[in-house]
Amino acid sequence: MDDHIRVNVGSVELKSPLILASGTCNFGHELSEYYDLSILGGLSSKGLTIKPRVGNEGVRVAETACGMLNSVGLQNPGVEYFIEHDLDYMDSLGCSRIINVAGHSYDDYMAMIEKLDPHKDKIDVLEINLSCPNVKAGCMSIGSDPEQIGMIVKAMRGLTSLPLWIKLTPNVTDIKAPALAAQEAGADAVVLINTLLGMAVDIKTRRPVLRNNTGGYSGPAVKPVAIRMVSECYQVLDIPIVGCGGISNAEDVLEFMIAGASAVEIGTASLVHPTAPVKITEDLIRWCSDNGQRLSELTGTLKLW
Amino acid sequence: MRKEYSCIVEDKIMLNAETAFITISCPEIASSAVPGQFVNISCSRFLKRPFGIASADIEKGTFKIGVKVVGKGTAEIASFEKGQKVDVLGPLGNGFSIRDDCEYIIVAGGTGVFPVNFAHEYMASKGIPHKVVEGFRNKEQIVLSSDDFILTTDAGDAGIKGNCCDGLETIRDSISSGTEVLCVGPLPMMKAVGKWATDNGLKCYVSMEQRMACGIGICLVCICKIKAEAEGEEFTHKRCCKDGPVFPYEEVIW
Repeated sequence: MDDHIRVNVGSVELKSPLILASGTCNFGHELSEYYDLSILGGLSSKGLTIKPRVGNEGVRVAETACGMLNSVGLQNPGVEYFIEHDLDYMDSLGCSRIINVAGHSYDDYMAMIEKLDPHKDKIDVLEINLSCPNVKAGCMSIGSDPEQIGMIVKAMRGLTSLPLWIKLTPNVTDIKAPALAAQEAGADAVVLINTLLGMAVDIKTRRPVLRNNTGGYSGPAVKPVAIRMVSECYQVLDIPIVGCGGISNAEDVLEFMIAGASAVEIGTASLVHPTAPVKITEDLIRWCSDNGQRLSELTGTLKLW
Repeated sequence: MRKEYSCIVEDKIMLNAETAFITISCPEIASSAVPGQFVNISCSRFLKRPFGIASADIEKGTFKIGVKVVGKGTAEIASFEKGQKVDVLGPLGNGFSIRDDCEYIIVAGGTGVFPVNFAHEYMASKGIPHKVVEGFRNKEQIVLSSDDFILTTDAGDAGIKGNCCDGLETIRDSISSGTEVLCVGPLPMMKAVGKWATDNGLKCYVSMEQRMACGIGICLVCICKIKAEAEGEEFTHKRCCKDGPVFPYEEVIW
């Protein structure tokens, strides 16, 4: 890989700023049929919970003009099954291994860390999902309360030496408050943003399209919201930021990095074009070559008016 | 490695006012597709649209899809003309497992006629004994039918009046044991055909449909409720696109 696209997120070295976002790549098996995932900086696993979850009833997807709503509801095989069946596979992919951890309660999150920490030789980062909008308890409700974030992150910090990235919800008035709470509690980075809470209505039935009524909005339409939040947080945080939201080409990656991201996650773009990250990687390498710069030099170079 | 293909529309004919039959050039898909599999086709909307493969011609390197207009995306795809560029993912999903030493009854309802057409062509080319039963709402809806097929219409203005099960009843006594039933159509129809098959001691496979996004198994939105294998669990959600779309009738929770 080209050294010019190598980045660091704190102590975590990534060969590229591109990470596949949790919930849009499962554990890597399916996209490996389309390209060699070792070109990526990392892969963030499907959000895992202490017990298996069947997720929400269908319909789980609604297309919008420039994105989509989903209400999957953290369907996953449970952390124990993951450790037994998928962790070694993720370890074999040749990109950084980011394990996304979700929960419904304080106890859930602690139990997850206790299950995963013994496997730290196969894990580079624990990405803590405090932001899923599609489950009834936990996640987003915890992630919109800085006090609860602080308590959970601090307790996790005591249980593992693995880097903790806290994935935050944009469904708050001031994104800086939860980000600062995560930093003060010992987080190594924040990931901004998870999906925006949204709804679509079927005008014939006058019912929400999604069986869950609401869902998480993602895709190119949410990018400006994410960029704004990355920029706001960059101005007040000392820890690095991983940007996420609507990235579909190399220019989007550059935009996020200039706004303050050290790396980025790409999600919905893979659902539209499975090999989107391949093209983005090639274009980023070309940009570095054309401009004689390393991508890491871009982070936070935004000149606000 | 699998890839997303940039393809060209080779031909388009309208089968009726709201249904197009489109031929797309893609030798890789034409040579590897099996009946029951589908492709994801791009349009100007955000997500691709899934269509069951209706026919594949290895020599010409083309495959066909049937497009019934149900929304803006399908309306746009149905309006494609020869020369239109399209991005295609496929063939996707697990198709029907068709054996040379088995006899089949293939049953189609509505747009299920398209994948069933592929199964029929495949079996005919291999000399696999099979019968085709088709059900439509009325005469105007009939597409891809043949005098060799058992035709039913709800309205009774063509073929046998009734549904696919009424059509199946007419051949019940001539079915050899071990015959398998393959069925593609609306949920209530597949449920009824599956029950009919089970009541008659026949194994039945159905092709499930759900709103999809990626088509390749990474987003988990197109779920189908399947009986759980593990003890103590009632059901599991499988992906129509990757684990299906074809499932054994008896494994589906209807």
